[in-house]
Amino acid sequence: MTSIAARPANIAKPRSARKPARDHRPYGGYRTALWIYAGAFYAFLYGPLLMIVLLSFNNSEIVGFPFQGFTVRWYEVVFASPALLKALGNSLAVGFLAAAIATTLALTLAMAFRHQFRGKSIVLYLILVPIIIPGIIGGIVLLIFFGFSGIRSSLWTTVLVAHVNWVLPFAFLTLFPRLHGFDRALEEAAMDLGAKPWEIFTRIVFPIIRPGVIATALFSFSLSFDEFIRTIFVSGFDRTIPVQFWGLIVDELAPELPAMAVLIIVISIFSSLIGFYFMWRASRAAATYDRKAS
Amino acid sequence: MTDPVSDVSTPPTVAPAPEMATGNAAVEIRDVSKWFGEVTALDNVSFEIGRGEFFSLLGPSGCGKTTLLRMIGGFETPSEGQILIDGVDTAGAPPYARSTNMIFQHLALFPHMSVHDNVAFGLKMKRIEDNIVEQKVHQALELVRLEGYGGRKIDQLSGGQKQRVAMARALINDPSVLLLDEPLGALDLQLRLQMQDELRRLHKSLGNTFIFVTHDQGEAMAMSDRIAVMDQGHILQIGTPEDIYEAPRTRFVADFVGHTNVFDGRVSQIDDNGECLVVCGGLTFRCIAPTGLAVEQPVSIAVRFEDVTLDGTLGSADGTGCSATVTEKMYLGGMFRFETRTAEGVALTSDVTNSDAARLVAEGDTVNLAWRPTNVSVLLE
Repeated sequence: MTSIAARPANIAKPRSARKPARDHRPYGGYRTALWIYAGAFYAFLYGPLLMIVLLSFNNSEIVGFPFQGFTVRWYEVVFASPALLKALGNSLAVGFLAAAIATTLALTLAMAFRHQFRGKSIVLYLILVPIIIPGIIGGIVLLIFFGFSGIRSSLWTTVLVAHVNWVLPFAFLTLFPRLHGFDRALEEAAMDLGAKPWEIFTRIVFPIIRPGVIATALFSFSLSFDEFIRTIFVSGFDRTIPVQFWGLIVDELAPELPAMAVLIIVISIFSSLIGFYFMWRASRAAATYDRKAS
Repeated sequence: MTDPVSDVSTPPTVAPAPEMATGNAAVEIRDVSKWFGEVTALDNVSFEIGRGEFFSLLGPSGCGKTTLLRMIGGFETPSEGQILIDGVDTAGAPPYARSTNMIFQHLALFPHMSVHDNVAFGLKMKRIEDNIVEQKVHQALELVRLEGYGGRKIDQLSGGQKQRVAMARALINDPSVLLLDEPLGALDLQLRLQMQDELRRLHKSLGNTFIFVTHDQGEAMAMSDRIAVMDQGHILQIGTPEDIYEAPRTRFVADFVGHTNVFDGRVSQIDDNGECLVVCGGLTFRCIAPTGLAVEQPVSIAVRFEDVTLDGTLGSADGTGCSATVTEKMYLGGMFRFETRTAEGVALTSDVTNSDAARLVAEGDTVNLAWRPTNVSVLLE
């Protein structure tokens, strides 16, 4: 279909007038190139992941191809290994706790950042610094700090602190927009109808931003679950899954490695996906509210 | 005060103080000023709002009307002065300790609650027993004609239904004063008129004091017992809609209330019979002289569109008429609006009832405009 808008273009360029009618969309001529680019993008992104999944089911003592038959025995090995299960338990526990602490801190910070106060922007940058500090530096800094403080490296001391420290800025960045965009009139209406500050928070603010809070907690969990560089500096004898994994790679190229990798990926993707679901719900709720307000 | 929302009598939240100075004021504004940094939002304002009144604060955006309303509700604190509700100084009292409730500009209904829970919120916060809450919510929904809507979610309601929920929610605690912050602003005309009726009906049947903020003069006229016209933090005139419309006291009020020809001029002559002549750029107006007027004093004069007639029987020389050319003729249903221009270039607008004579006048025609001295207002400010 030749659109009316396309006609002047045809007049200006008589050559294209001879061609069959065609939409003149911006960048329309680059369509093939875009498809190739997108294909390559996804191939590089998901090809290796797919390969790991295949390798995890490969009935071979050596990690690598050719594929020598389907087996689930490497998963059995993973689930039969006390060291791996212990590491998995450690990671889950630290992940949950770090997510809970970081989300709570982020929520209170985000509440505070709705007000004007002196040095607000400096405090904001200070919260975000852990994101830009290279992981290896962050790990060393924490190691030195804990060493000087005389705190022994363990899961519930150094690792937890390191994880909260790492996760907090991301939690804040996820949660802050939810609270920043929160309609103050709702809080005023609640106050007008007799609600005290704490009741305003528990009955109005929190229920409305709850999807955002849950999403933040799940993203925080993912980040903590995958954290490696900082953790390896401060983990001591308690190993998390990535640290354990690293040990296996360094000590021996164990055949159950792909199976373990797949498990880690599944847990991470799963918690992130639920996080995105709640994020979507939160933004949908906000959109509904905007429509209502206008 | 009547309490139709409940037959369970509740004591008023703010008890009248024994030393109450004035008997019938629901709200007293005493020398109130408000500054936001360097900006003066409200400049030394004083007035009273009577119990049971439908009082409108009318003015353009930024005139301080919303600030004043928010101070009465307890959302802002006066920089100076006092606000008394039912005779009691409200200084320092948070919104939840005042016998006021507010309908917000965008309604601020709680999106995560049902209609029922929105309406019940005020009672729940007061720890009222559940069976009384149910009874009152039912009555409140009945009052705003939303019976059976209790289970709906807020985003399942139409614009008008949301308005009604907001009304029920704000009225459930039977506030001494209901504050309305331009709640009808977002509605289309049809719904807006409907809601105006609804608000008036509620006000009549409940008898609470309503304070209504609006920038729409028509809305203020249609609903209010009294109107305060505001501009730049000042109250320019307080009066009944008739007062404001018929006898605007300042040029701004005349302009803002609308449908008025306003001219700047000078007093040229004051007669013994109490009339005077004001010359405004080639046009002379005969008007009733207010007391204390002096010759040569600069004044403005205002003549409503409908007070300028196309009746040519009155002469132009004595300041009660002139001849002019019609530049634009508009059909407004019940009447025609003629925009005209005199030979001196002065623009005058005249609203004429739809009649055979008016229909015959066409653009480009020369007509005789006329007005009565009693319909010309002399504005000193």
